[in-house]
Amino acid sequence: MKIQNGRERDSPGAEHANKRLLSEPFKQKVKLHLKRSRQTWRIFRGNWMGMLGLVILIIFIVMALFPAQVVSIIAAIGGWEAYEPFDEVADIGIGSPPTPDHPLGTDYRGCDILSRLIHGSRVSLAVGVVASAVSMGLGSLIGLLSGFWGGWRDEALMRVTDVFLVMPWLVLMIVLAALLPGGSSVYKIIFVIGITGWSSTARIVRAQVLSIKKRAFIERARAVGASDTHIVRKHIFPNVFPLVFANSILTIALSILSESTLSFIGMGPDATQVVTWGNMLDDAFKVFAIENGLYLWVIMPGFFIVFIVLGFTFIGYALDEIFNPKLRKR
Amino acid sequence: MGRDMKNFRRIILRRVLNSLITLFLVIIINFALFRMMPGDPLKYMVPPNPKFTEEYLLGLVEEYGLNDPMIEQFADYLKGVVTLDFGSSFIYKNTLAMDHVLEYMTWTLLLLGVSSIFMISIGMLIGILSAWKRGSSFDTGSLAFSLFFYAMPTFWLAMMMIIMFAKTWVGLPPNNALEYGETFSWSLYSIMDLLEHLVLPAITLTLVNIAAFSLLMRGSLTDVMTEEYVNTARAKGLSEGAVLKDHAVPNAMLPMVALIAITIAYIVGGAFQVEYVFNYPGVGWATIDAVMREDWPVLQAAFFLIAVAVIIANFLADIAMVYLDPRVELS
Repeated sequence: MKIQNGRERDSPGAEHANKRLLSEPFKQKVKLHLKRSRQTWRIFRGNWMGMLGLVILIIFIVMALFPAQVVSIIAAIGGWEAYEPFDEVADIGIGSPPTPDHPLGTDYRGCDILSRLIHGSRVSLAVGVVASAVSMGLGSLIGLLSGFWGGWRDEALMRVTDVFLVMPWLVLMIVLAALLPGGSSVYKIIFVIGITGWSSTARIVRAQVLSIKKRAFIERARAVGASDTHIVRKHIFPNVFPLVFANSILTIALSILSESTLSFIGMGPDATQVVTWGNMLDDAFKVFAIENGLYLWVIMPGFFIVFIVLGFTFIGYALDEIFNPKLRKR
Repeated sequence: MGRDMKNFRRIILRRVLNSLITLFLVIIINFALFRMMPGDPLKYMVPPNPKFTEEYLLGLVEEYGLNDPMIEQFADYLKGVVTLDFGSSFIYKNTLAMDHVLEYMTWTLLLLGVSSIFMISIGMLIGILSAWKRGSSFDTGSLAFSLFFYAMPTFWLAMMMIIMFAKTWVGLPPNNALEYGETFSWSLYSIMDLLEHLVLPAITLTLVNIAAFSLLMRGSLTDVMTEEYVNTARAKGLSEGAVLKDHAVPNAMLPMVALIAITIAYIVGGAFQVEYVFNYPGVGWATIDAVMREDWPVLQAAFFLIAVAVIIANFLADIAMVYLDPRVELS
């Protein structure tokens, strides 16, 4: 197909025809999307909360993508050596308070806390994003089907949703993490967070689908003989998506909190192989860092969690305002 | 009137039915999770522990009927659910798992009760003031405050509280519910002791959950303030305070009741973390302890107890909603 297009483009007449027949509607579509996203960006830019969130997020993404480089830059500025997160560079035991060489001290494995802190952003962020994608996907699917089908299937799906909504999330996560096979792998943690966090999304999506289903354009589509799949794909999904998108940003924040909590209770990834802020805090709690006066070890990972969660929350609120213009008037 | 009552009864009946279905599903999940995991069920019911002798293990297999057909096991389990008998704890010999969990219930109820009162009343107050003085520095400030604590992992705030108010300033007790070795009695000393140990856990749990209530109250009241009847009340010449108290706030309360229902499950999760960090002897502490020691009967009992408590709380909040708002329909 591509080659043929390329050949045709050689002759001037064919190019014209090609443009008219194939590219024109597509181009229009792209143009419309570009225009829309530019508009969205303009509103977003004017929202200080959203911009602040974006800046925070970018800082964390840079740290997650290039942790070693970030550590070396910080070390170069501060005038000390850059350490690897898993290297035992100090005494093993209970950890040590800040020294000129280790500005945040070292943990009980003898690892540099600053290095672990920066490297921790990668898995903390990744688990948050992927787990939230899992729960959003599951929640949207169930909400979409439930709202679209209606009847007893809706009823059955909603009762299952109720169970997950009513069960205290932390208890369910702990029980699942304790009983599921797979040791302390990152994938298992993602699965556990994803499978416990979809219920509120399903509820929101279902409510939205129900309200869209009643509108006239769905009736019209049905009248001209559109199939169920077509209606869901072309009419219902595009109307539900913005809501899901704004919601998923907020869910990432919750997933990051879930990961840190699970890790803190000692059910997260193995701290000798994977470093997350949650398992750093778990280490600190287990060796009584507070009683031993190693406050920075406790304070810093928590601050990082707070900032990244705030970043996502700010962006989520900003997007919510953009996609749900009814709120904007407030 | 009679028709209204009929409708009301129908809604209540429907809610009861829904709660019972949820409860039944939880009961099934609680069974399935512990018996139907991929792999050898023995592995999950009887964790590897060198301290267990071969005889003891065989005894357990017999006691829990792990070799029986699944249907029979489920029937046994259901019998256990009805009599609240989930077998004895693996660790605390001769103690029924449910009794073990119930021992910790009082402390959890105390912690949850006290913090709930504070988080709901303070959260609502902040929300009302923010909505009333919308756009003021109080509004912005309280929003920032709410979001900051909302973004915090509960367990981390608990640790920070210990660093600040137990180690650096004030010197409040950082763990346990009473002085070491004490048991509670109705004496002034004991009550003071109890309150002193309750301060930090309760403040932590309150702070992280205020945001949910203040933000919703603000949003709900902002909506109500644009309604016609609020304008009418103002036009009648009522003072701002009277408009707020008699006309706006009561109508803004409905979403709050719904929120309390939804938030219960979340607050319980927070209480778990607080109990763990402060070593507070509640159900959350017992549950995490059971997970770490692989004491499955206790975990099963705790899971069931918490689920039932939350389902009942949700049901009550639902009923309160229906009672308060005649417009609520069957969804």
